Amino acid sequence: MLIKFTLNGDPAEVHLKSPDRLLVDVLRDDLQLTGTKHGCGIGACGTCTIILDGAPVSSCLQLAAMCDGSHVRTVEGLAEAGALHPVQQAFINKSAMQCGICIPGHVMQCVSLLEKNPNPSDEDIRMSVDGVYCRCTGYVKIIDAYREAIALLKKAGKA
Amino acid sequence: MSNRHRTLRNQTLRDPKFEAGLLVVGKDVPRTDAIPKVTGAAQYVADIHMPGMLHAAVLRSPHPHARILSIDTSAARSMPGVKAVVTGEDTAKRKWGAFRPDLYPLAINKVRYVGDEVAAVAAIDPETARAAVDRIVVEYEILPGVFSLDEAMAPGAALVHDDTPGNVAHEFAFERGEVDAGFKASDVIVEGTWDSIRQWHSSLETIGCVAHWSNNRVSMWCNTQTPFLARGRYAIALGVPESQVRVIQTEVGGGFGGKSGDDNGSVIAAILARKAGRPVKLIHTREEEFLASHPRMPMRYWVRLGFSKAGKVLAKEIRMWADNGAYTGKSQAILGAATVRHDALYKYPNARAKSTLLYTNLVPTGAFRGFGNPSADWAVEQAWDLAAEKLNMDVVDLLRLNAVEDGDVSPHNHKITSGELRQCIDKAADLIQWKSKRESKQKNKQSNRGLGMGCSIHVNGRRSFGDWDGSSAIVRINEDGRATIITGEGEIGQGALTVLRQIAAEELGLPYEDVDITRPDTDVHPHSLGALASRVTYVAGNAVKLAATAAHKQLMAAAAEQFKKPVEELTIINGQIGPRKGAESEFKPVSAVVRANIYKRDGEAIVGVGNWDNPSDFPDHSRYGNESGAYNFAAQAVEVEVDRGTGVVELKEISAVVDCGTVIHPSAAQGQVEGAVTQGIGLAMTEYFDWHNGTPTDPQYIDYPLPSAEFVPKIHVAFADSYEPSGPFGAKGLGEIGLDAIPAAIANAIADAVGVRIYQLPITAEKIHRALHPELYADEKVAPAAPPKGGVWTRLATGRPSGTRPFTMELVTPKTVDEAIALYAAGDTAIVSGGMSHALRRERTGFPQAKRLMNVGRIAELLQVGIANGLLHIGAAVNQQTLIELPGLREHWAVLAEALDAAGHTRVRQMTTVGGSVAPLIGGFDMPVALLALNARVVTATAAGRKTWTLAEAFEKRLARDEMVIAIEVDALPARSGSAFHKFLPRGVMETPAANAAATVTLDANGKCIAARLVVGAVSWKPVVPDLASLKGTAFDEARIRAAVQAVRDMAQPLANVRGSAMYKRNMAVEIGARTLIRAWQKAAK
Repeated sequence: MLIKFTLNGDPAEVHLKSPDRLLVDVLRDDLQLTGTKHGCGIGACGTCTIILDGAPVSSCLQLAAMCDGSHVRTVEGLAEAGALHPVQQAFINKSAMQCGICIPGHVMQCVSLLEKNPNPSDEDIRMSVDGVYCRCTGYVKIIDAYREAIALLKKAGKA
Repeated sequence: MSNRHRTLRNQTLRDPKFEAGLLVVGKDVPRTDAIPKVTGAAQYVADIHMPGMLHAAVLRSPHPHARILSIDTSAARSMPGVKAVVTGEDTAKRKWGAFRPDLYPLAINKVRYVGDEVAAVAAIDPETARAAVDRIVVEYEILPGVFSLDEAMAPGAALVHDDTPGNVAHEFAFERGEVDAGFKASDVIVEGTWDSIRQWHSSLETIGCVAHWSNNRVSMWCNTQTPFLARGRYAIALGVPESQVRVIQTEVGGGFGGKSGDDNGSVIAAILARKAGRPVKLIHTREEEFLASHPRMPMRYWVRLGFSKAGKVLAKEIRMWADNGAYTGKSQAILGAATVRHDALYKYPNARAKSTLLYTNLVPTGAFRGFGNPSADWAVEQAWDLAAEKLNMDVVDLLRLNAVEDGDVSPHNHKITSGELRQCIDKAADLIQWKSKRESKQKNKQSNRGLGMGCSIHVNGRRSFGDWDGSSAIVRINEDGRATIITGEGEIGQGALTVLRQIAAEELGLPYEDVDITRPDTDVHPHSLGALASRVTYVAGNAVKLAATAAHKQLMAAAAEQFKKPVEELTIINGQIGPRKGAESEFKPVSAVVRANIYKRDGEAIVGVGNWDNPSDFPDHSRYGNESGAYNFAAQAVEVEVDRGTGVVELKEISAVVDCGTVIHPSAAQGQVEGAVTQGIGLAMTEYFDWHNGTPTDPQYIDYPLPSAEFVPKIHVAFADSYEPSGPFGAKGLGEIGLDAIPAAIANAIADAVGVRIYQLPITAEKIHRALHPELYADEKVAPAAPPKGGVWTRLATGRPSGTRPFTMELVTPKTVDEAIALYAAGDTAIVSGGMSHALRRERTGFPQAKRLMNVGRIAELLQVGIANGLLHIGAAVNQQTLIELPGLREHWAVLAEALDAAGHTRVRQMTTVGGSVAPLIGGFDMPVALLALNARVVTATAAGRKTWTLAEAFEKRLARDEMVIAIEVDALPARSGSAFHKFLPRGVMETPAANAAATVTLDANGKCIAARLVVGAVSWKPVVPDLASLKGTAFDEARIRAAVQAVRDMAQPLANVRGSAMYKRNMAVEIGARTLIRAWQKAAK
């Protein structure tokens, strides 16, 4: 079946081999956008988090067929004209990464929270980070990066 | 610098640059890998795509021990799209392994654990490859297996390897000093036996490889930590010389020891690629990672310690048995580390040990951050805590008294050259306010809070793989003035690329930004051992520093020639070379000097080579020998609070102080410690499985949750003021040390808090609850273990091990309820709305729910949600996130809002619809439990028409086959009502609850109860609703409420699983039910 959706602001069309093909596979294999990572396949780890119509979802559980007509955003869509998104810059400033495999998921989760709520409480931040596993950092630096991102977004007048 | 340092350390041992003040080392420069990792551009092995590339799938043994009678691959081979099928017959039939070659790339004759590789397929896409695997028919003769240390060493036990009598894979013993005399002289002796468990690395990137043969050589893109060691072992497994194998390290998505070249996966990829003549990609699924990677090795560790009255340690004795699993990997080295390493932590004068490595028919074990030390520390650091108790000393004082220091030599000749353990202990105690908290605990012994400490020691590289633990590096200064570091050591997330650049930049006098570093490729780079044994900063750092020194020397010689001045009169500042004290105009860029040195007759490129070998000894069979040139140390303090009613341990805060010499990159170093501590917490408290027939019953994150952000307490990280003379700019490694003592420190804190000592990992709430309330388990009858349910079991039992089949199906998207009902009535149709349950089912069982998927998410009526006249109406396709954000929900339907809070994270709520959580009528889900407490109604529809009935009735009568949920309706609670929800998670991390409870209470104007309702879920096939009539007309009385809730104990029929025994869950159903009802009552009274 043919689906059409908006991907990082651009029109996208994909012929699905089967209607229950998963969005993560369509992004990675069909569209070669490998920034979205596959972690567990059961929605538990959050590594494959993308933003679908403004909300974070696990792309490993999202049927691609149901994204017909939707807006899909992945980590590749954040930087504009070579300039990093403030959330990406915040992760760099705080060394909030080690192996990096979970970082696209954390970055997308952070973007989706801050777009909805530019002034999250500490508890909001912890709950947001809680949804995505990280095996390396112990989350300390990732929580620091959220706070840095809030500050950078304010500075950039984006919040 | 500490005073002791000043007086003790010979200043001339220090790097002159260190004394002069460092420019790059010690600074938080931007990480080398940062931009690719935040933009998604970093290339991990799964991201590699090549023209003509095939995808692999592996057939694994479903039996823990069996003889292979026959393998029929004909059906798989004849499938369209299948390009190669291989079995043991296609291999060189050579056993391989790091120390004790005992593993075939694909099984020959026998399988020895569930997950053992039997055959593999390469096909045009992953789905075809997996489907082909399901068509391989293997005939097995099932053999008896050994599943524990006791079974493995029992007389007449089945042999895992026919050539290994007694299943003993390795054994060694030593006695140093006069151990018997030491114990004889001791005033206080403590002893105990502690058991540790398998822990999986759980890197969020699984093991993988892309292999491609060309000109009879194979290139392997691997996410390995150790490219050269992997090359050597893979060459043996493939039966080709090393130089025929090229290993290229991709970005590594987490290693922790699990990607250090012991896996069969990469070898199988190469075997398939050779047969198919095309590139082959093999990526472990998460399930395969649990089944067949090499988790931490469990040990049974008996230890005895003897002390003088004053607290001086006089003797130590160990008897240890370790569970190797079916194949050895690095386990015999781990056995050694776990036996001897700790003897260099305290001033042990005498030590004796015997350690035995036993084969079992369980998943093979291997290297994992800490390399045996966490199991040793789990035992010995608790024994020290017991000793402090018996000696009536504060454990901090006892540890300080015995801590090793500079100049000490362990019984195994481990030489301590920079040992700031005492400083670590003091700082860790200060950071957690040990003294004041200890004093307040002495005053209030009934407090549920407690403190614990643990210490550890680790190597910086280890002479393991022959008499060399060195590194070789090249530093080039290019004609543009930039430098390139060429090293085969590699980044696995620990920050190696960044740290090595800092060291080179510092040595060269170039800006950090002007120094590049290459990624490992065994065809190009000089030999190196890679990221293991916390060695890269120390060993590779020294090699890079020497290479930079050599390049710097060449550069300065060239400059001397060009400036016509002696080298001593020249200096390099920020990429510019010129005369010391010269004017700025006299300086010229490094690029100009290099270019002029190359572009001249007989010109020369500037290439410095550095070789550095760890100043250590190759230990003998009894493990005597200084295994590393330097040792790092840590002390960690933990504060816990124990909930006596549930046994749940809350981690309040942790302080972790590490002596790693000079800290080269502070934030990366902190990150290493924070991450290691968190993995230690996981080992102690969240990461464990249920086992059946030699394998985890559900090898996924459902049963094996990692510590998540909410679970990790405040971690105070600090570093000792320390300088290692043999390290680059005084640095040592620190990758592993932060994990080792955490489980013991937590156990010590629990013992301090409530007097319960845990001897067997994991630390569970149930173990503590049982110890505190034995009377609640008096009438326990343990039912025989039920056969497991779950993805892997379903698939193995139905002969579809890989769990995927190609199929064609249809997706329909009705616009109205009537249209949907007609489609649903036609049969073989599954409703999808969020889509999540279908995708999950597919992932876990391998089958789609039905031939036709019906997306009801576009039916306007089902998306309606709102509050009108005190009635909450929720359409079935409304997602939980939309509902939780509904204005007014939390004020009037608090129990529902709290259930949605508990249901998961934003992401999960976004993908879960109300219909999806209610329609399956599962009593353990959070939403239906809350809705039942609210006496919610459900609107359903069939072709015959609609009806509105109570959810309670629906739970009794179930839905008809063609009946769809349309909406939920809930009345607001009357005035003076309160409601509450509690999801009980004994591990403290998000997972299936052991029990959940929802309560509503309505009071009259005098505070007497008019109505009370309690629903307890997850403890029976349907929610349990006790009769609370006895509470009507009564005022708040906790004892009466608790008595009323006792009825839940007999109504509950919980199943035992990884989250607790049936009896524990029964007790928790009562406890959580009572707490929730009390909270609802208190809210009503407000």
